Amino acid sequence: MDRRDFLKTAAAGAVSALAAPNLARAAGSSVLRFIPQANLANLDPIWTTQYVVRNGALLIWDMLYGVNEKLEPQPQMVESHDVSADFKTWTFKLRPGLKFHDGEPVRSKDVVASIARWMVRDATMGQVIKKRLDALEAVDDRVFRFRLNAPYSKMLFALGKSSTPCLFIMPERIAATDPFKQISEYVGSGPMRFMKDQWVPGAKAIFERFADYAPRAEKANWLSGGKRVNFDRIEWNIVPDGATAAAALENGEVDWWETPLPDLVPLLKKHANVAVDIADPLGNIGSFRINHLHPPFNDVRARQAIQIALSQEDYMGAVVGSDETLWKTIPGYFTPDTPLYSEVGGERLKGKRDYELAKKLLAEAGYKGEPIVLLVATDVSITKAQGDVTADLLKRIGMNVEYTALDWGTVGQRRAKKEPPAQGGWNIFHTWHAGADCVNPAPYIALNAGGDTAWFGWPKSDLVQEKIDAWYAASDLAGEKKAIDELNKAAMDHVVYVPTGFFKGYQAWRTNVSGIVKAPFPVFWDVTKT
Amino acid sequence: MFAYIVRRILATVPVVLLVALFVFSLLYLAPGDPAAIIAGDQASPADVDRIRESLGLDRPFLVRFFDWFFHVIGGDLGVSIFTNLPVSHMIAQRIEPTVSLMLLTLTLSLSCAIPMGVIAAWKHGTIIDRAVMMTAVFGFSTPSFVIGYLLAYLFALQLDWLPVQGFTSISVGLIPFLRNLILPATALGLVFMALIARITRATMLDVLSQDYVRTAKAKGVGQRGVLFVHALKNAAVPIVTIVGIGFATLIGGAIVTESVFAIPGLGRLTVDAILRRDYPVIQGVVLMFSFIYVLVNLGVDLLYTVFDPRIRY
Repeated sequence: MDRRDFLKTAAAGAVSALAAPNLARAAGSSVLRFIPQANLANLDPIWTTQYVVRNGALLIWDMLYGVNEKLEPQPQMVESHDVSADFKTWTFKLRPGLKFHDGEPVRSKDVVASIARWMVRDATMGQVIKKRLDALEAVDDRVFRFRLNAPYSKMLFALGKSSTPCLFIMPERIAATDPFKQISEYVGSGPMRFMKDQWVPGAKAIFERFADYAPRAEKANWLSGGKRVNFDRIEWNIVPDGATAAAALENGEVDWWETPLPDLVPLLKKHANVAVDIADPLGNIGSFRINHLHPPFNDVRARQAIQIALSQEDYMGAVVGSDETLWKTIPGYFTPDTPLYSEVGGERLKGKRDYELAKKLLAEAGYKGEPIVLLVATDVSITKAQGDVTADLLKRIGMNVEYTALDWGTVGQRRAKKEPPAQGGWNIFHTWHAGADCVNPAPYIALNAGGDTAWFGWPKSDLVQEKIDAWYAASDLAGEKKAIDELNKAAMDHVVYVPTGFFKGYQAWRTNVSGIVKAPFPVFWDVTKT
Repeated sequence: MFAYIVRRILATVPVVLLVALFVFSLLYLAPGDPAAIIAGDQASPADVDRIRESLGLDRPFLVRFFDWFFHVIGGDLGVSIFTNLPVSHMIAQRIEPTVSLMLLTLTLSLSCAIPMGVIAAWKHGTIIDRAVMMTAVFGFSTPSFVIGYLLAYLFALQLDWLPVQGFTSISVGLIPFLRNLILPATALGLVFMALIARITRATMLDVLSQDYVRTAKAKGVGQRGVLFVHALKNAAVPIVTIVGIGFATLIGGAIVTESVFAIPGLGRLTVDAILRRDYPVIQGVVLMFSFIYVLVNLGVDLLYTVFDPRIRY
């Protein structure tokens, strides 16, 4: 063999080896490769309220209760409970045989410590319970009890809420961490263990099956029932670029993509080995958030002018495109197709848009062409699309728009400023709320109108707060519906914020994967792969 | 020479410190709040304040700077605000993919670009010269992410030869390592290749018109010997200079390429950290890049002495 023959042979060998069929496809069926909605940059579901953290935490930590697809809390770690007639004393008994990943049994003292940490950080239901709490005590290793100084009928919903922060049960030594500091041990009692040593934040997160997990006997339904994971290992691959994620799914390098970009969905639908369907039936509600502290929007007429001029069709077209199955208009604040959905008071969002009336209301509110500071997070497609439509809308009704393009991190900082817009404050920003958080007033912090204690924009309406309290006090569905109708009207009249429409997103997976359900979070139990 | 190297390495210290101060000040002045990102949309402003306080972000500038500075002097780059992991650990996790990508890119680029430039100069004015220059213009004018998508479409989706994304450590095997890196290195290397090819051609054209080249030919040295022994060695100094300068371009390009091919390298770590305002990570990565860049320049200066014995330090 001379030099040329050697080189030819070596080159041919290298090419054939490199061009071998994609080995990634042959990965074992006991591994599920998943692309989550965002980077899993930390894993303390109490310290942070990011959804991607909640979704990872659902694999690691179990909950006392879990909601099913009807949003009903079902017992999960709890075997039974007892409540006094006045809803002031709640006693719970844990299931036998529950174990943490470090082999220690789950005891009531772990539950009490976990509840204590969660109550501090859950601005909605946790803090309501904390205010009414006389005592939270571990009666024995399996029994714990709340003693309240006021009735609280929504306890099961609070303990099983799926909105962030959820009540995850951690070992006492971990739950004792300051709620405003991050935990560094990820030990739970859920169906999967987190492999911290293999974690590369921004690239991958690995979960392995917990052999000692004791699933419930019932069939799994969202966060309730037996959480039987059919994989030894679940790999979360962080793929920041949408086109690359789509190509990886098409090529069989990953099995399931949580949030495919709407633009790429038509391409994915054409692929024989890829299935596409709605991800979350509860969808999202777009938000036109107004600062109530400064002119002109400190006058309700200026806020109502926005309601009269705003076209939800325009917003939804910009956010999710031409696929009309993905969105609908909602003249209300609550998630469509859920028991408490209401359109009472939503008339200003219906019918033909009336720019002249909007201009008249603005004039009556004293608006004289001052700059309106519109914060637009241009690095998030949903907020960017809404911001562009708003800029056009405001110009149509004669407002002087100061379009401030920022990234989401900066919007997050700037929106907390209460100073006047000309001094670094703001008038409007956009966001969206998960439909699962808008099914009733408890997790719905954006609807709070408590002034300084309200969410950014600081709306203040005693009537709205009174109606929220009425919902808490209602003891049956009819009473809740009545309270919600009145709340929806009060909030619409006060214009706590302006919903820009209801929209859903897709998820996509390889056709050799089955058992994927529609839910506000990825449900890994009962998923199989051939 | 040894004294020169020591002096140059010592000179990097104030440079790196100045970079550190500049980056720290820039991040302090830049808008954005990691506490708000951590707290999420559901958190109250009071909660955001508590998180900011627990992270020490409410402390005055000088307190924060000197706290960080003295830790850096002690070899501690700090802990990521978000992951709670040491910054040095996060950099160590990410350095292999980036270094691998850069080395493969350099290898591919230089092994293609230098022969292309030499041949273009040798065949000056012919169709070969024009073809090489057209390729160079294409490489210059096409963004690396476009090349990346095209390569992935062709070689991964259509031909099914290579994976679309990801990284496999060389410790797993050379072939899987190359299978993952060949497309990103090609995408990233095309611009670099175009740059080197053009510089090589221009320098070689100049060198080939020199008297000593004519003398070498007159002495009967063959074409290959003239081109690669006499001419190329004398053209090497500007080429090495451009390779050094191009290193900075590679760092910038790696950020884009790592995102397109989902390579878990330092480029993506930097982008993620900037978007989240993970200050310790940004500061650590920038410090490391500035140090590497200074070392590369030192390497370039030392290589001059190899190619041109007249240069002495």
